Amino acid sequence: MSRANEPLRLEYGREVDGLGVVRQPSPAGAASFSATYVGPAGWGFDPPGEAGTARAVNQLLSSGAGPYDRMALARLLDRAGAIITSECAPESGEVTIWGPAADWEKLLALLADAVLRPRFAPEDLVRVQRQLSEQQMRELAQPGSRADRELFRATYPETHPYYSSGLGDPKSVARISPTKLRKFHRAQYTSGDAVLVVTGPARLAAVEAAALALFSGFAEHRGPTLRLPSVRRRTARRLTVALKGRSQVEIRIGGDSIARSDPGYPAAFLANEILGGRGQLSRLFQRVRERGGLVYHASSELEAMRFGGYWTVGAGTGAERWGKVVAMLSHELEEMEDRMVSSSELREIRESAIGEIPLALESTADAHELAVEVAYHRLPGDYLSRWPELLRSVTPKEVRAAVDRAMDRQHAVTILAGPVNRS
Amino acid sequence: MPRSGVRRPKVRALTLSNGLRVLLAPEDASPTASVWVWYRVGSKNEEPGITGASHWVEHMLFEGSPRYGKGEIDRAVQRVGGELNAFTDTDFTAYFTTVPRDHLSVPLDIEADRMTRAAITDAEVARERTVIHSEREGNENWPEFRVEEELFQLAFRVHPYRWDALGRRRDIEQMTADQLRAYYRRFYGPKNAVLVVAGGFDSDRTAAEVRRRFSKLPPWGEDVTVHDEEPPAVGERRSTLSGPGTTPYLQLGWRSPALSDPSTPATLILDTILGGESRLFSAGMGQRGRREHPTARLYRALVEKGLAVRATSGWSPRFYPSLFTIQVQAARGVSLDRLERAVGSVVDRLSRDGPSPKEMADVRTRIRRGAALAYEGATSTGFRIGYFATLDSLGLEDRLYHRLLHVSLRAVRDQARALFRPESRVVVRYEPTGGTDDE
Repeated sequence: MSRANEPLRLEYGREVDGLGVVRQPSPAGAASFSATYVGPAGWGFDPPGEAGTARAVNQLLSSGAGPYDRMALARLLDRAGAIITSECAPESGEVTIWGPAADWEKLLALLADAVLRPRFAPEDLVRVQRQLSEQQMRELAQPGSRADRELFRATYPETHPYYSSGLGDPKSVARISPTKLRKFHRAQYTSGDAVLVVTGPARLAAVEAAALALFSGFAEHRGPTLRLPSVRRRTARRLTVALKGRSQVEIRIGGDSIARSDPGYPAAFLANEILGGRGQLSRLFQRVRERGGLVYHASSELEAMRFGGYWTVGAGTGAERWGKVVAMLSHELEEMEDRMVSSSELREIRESAIGEIPLALESTADAHELAVEVAYHRLPGDYLSRWPELLRSVTPKEVRAAVDRAMDRQHAVTILAGPVNRS
Repeated sequence: MPRSGVRRPKVRALTLSNGLRVLLAPEDASPTASVWVWYRVGSKNEEPGITGASHWVEHMLFEGSPRYGKGEIDRAVQRVGGELNAFTDTDFTAYFTTVPRDHLSVPLDIEADRMTRAAITDAEVARERTVIHSEREGNENWPEFRVEEELFQLAFRVHPYRWDALGRRRDIEQMTADQLRAYYRRFYGPKNAVLVVAGGFDSDRTAAEVRRRFSKLPPWGEDVTVHDEEPPAVGERRSTLSGPGTTPYLQLGWRSPALSDPSTPATLILDTILGGESRLFSAGMGQRGRREHPTARLYRALVEKGLAVRATSGWSPRFYPSLFTIQVQAARGVSLDRLERAVGSVVDRLSRDGPSPKEMADVRTRIRRGAALAYEGATSTGFRIGYFATLDSLGLEDRLYHRLLHVSLRAVRDQARALFRPESRVVVRYEPTGGTDDE
């Protein structure tokens, strides 16, 4: 168990058939346990014409596994006070189990069943197909998700993993069969290029032994590689999706960005924090919401993944105000590009980001989320201790350079989705 | 009192001479400290013309007070790596700030400064109006929000639960700064507040600091009791909304008892059996990622059978009689009539036969397991302690826990019969206008 204010340290253990094994101690006072498998199973790996497969596989991992059908697994989890959740992203797929620390070995065994021995029952597939179809329709109908969708479609070529949200279309989802699910699962839920992260009281040796006993049945040991097609940089442009009957216009501005492994990542991270990533301290919140009083939400995001990344600025506002809001957002982006951030602003943002680390380690679930990120990106075990130093070494000049590379407004796409014609 | 299975840190309680209740929950090893101020003021204390005032005051309490100019509250907290936010409900408003443990004085200073002296200026009220308007508009983009707002509006004709905490559009447009200031002066103050500090701090030193900062505040805070009583329901009420989108929604509500009613534990169990969430004692609240409840009755009857893509129930104990709700999102091609019949069968069966012994045993296990892991981290500790203390007292959590584990099958069945009466049913349907509506 760790002590107060001591940054958590990840311990890398012996691999199991190429599967990375990482252990992190529980935060102080925590009585729960988390374990995650994260591997190269995102929708960027969907076979051509079979979009939606990665998401379907990911959702179905917790729908019956090993000796348990869907209902038996659900009851088992309920009785254990545990939950399994799954998440799918363009590059990766992950499954997490959370529950009482005292039962960690049982929970890890359930996670192994979910990852290695999913059932893919036909009736479960039908249900997931229905849910995917509904999500497709919702993505088109909701201004926020529609704006995201159009931004990525306008930024990336169709063959790029970031082009879509992985939901597929009615035809591709209808084509998914149990055979196709199994094929995808075999190829993508591999031990290679994947990692098992455990946050709990068990020592590394015990985690290693359990991982060896439970996770040695992968069909493939080599992780597939994701190749990103090149992104054509076009002059900045604006696209409008008029959606009738909505109250608010959702605005997105964004484009292609850097991967997490890019040496300029710490500077880009801070650039994003200054613009709109650091909550109430960021420029977008202070200037567009607090001074301008024009929006309820205005923020920015830098999503730096393993193979690539993107950046977005997002805000929502009434039909009468979107023109002003777009102008203000654009002005803030211009200012990031044209004017060097002051040392005092950089210091304030940086120290806030560093000061926040203890908050990210409050509970097992919080600390685990951070550990999964560090482990997935193969960062050193003491990365969290080194992060403050990395941030403190960033200069205003480097932030300025990072804006050009990671938040390139000259080639950005602006999307408006909602009741735009009322403006 | 039976030994509680709730794994809660030890709490030290104080009451200052001005009426402020203070609860300190120190945990030596915690790297953070979380300060929560809960006011027993919410949309229940508003009236037509000033609906949304509690929520608006919530926003204004970030806009300045004697020692903090505009934007300085956010800055003071975030500069040290802290996070802060607030939320408004029908029955209460809560403000929280979590900081690294060495900076506990920052939120204590802020809360003491704004408890009775927030600067609600005309200019800031005018500027915040569009922000709040925008928050409401963002919600209106979601059919679920519109359906729920309609459901409560339909169910209540007298009680303030009939409007959403965000307030009505027209009131947001017309409420004046004077009205907001009057509302704030009337209800906000130590007498209506609970201050909770949780996490890494020294209990004696913090108790002294709290006394120093808060005991000189005036004993403000008028009685927040709501005297408007909703007459008994005498017949079903229905409404149909239409709007953009492609998914039909159905929401049903039944008039439900107040928190103080002895049937509260049975109602919580009905909610777990129908929707799957063990509210108040749920394991893994706040976990990231997709989560479903395949063992819940609504899920089994509607989602598993292909009638819906989502089906759940909702009930939170409130000061006054409220609504027990069921929300369903239809699967493509399934009519709302069919869906409504299916929901009817589920509640009829539960009312007729009650839960099975196995179902009850599972629910109790989940509650026990959830309670054992409910307190983890200063922020969630501050939330839970403040929530129960604001609704009643910390003892409420122990009492509810104990009663949930001992409520009988028959009591749950009887409560289902009392709750799901056709004459107290309210139904709202959302019929989408189709397509994705591109113009």
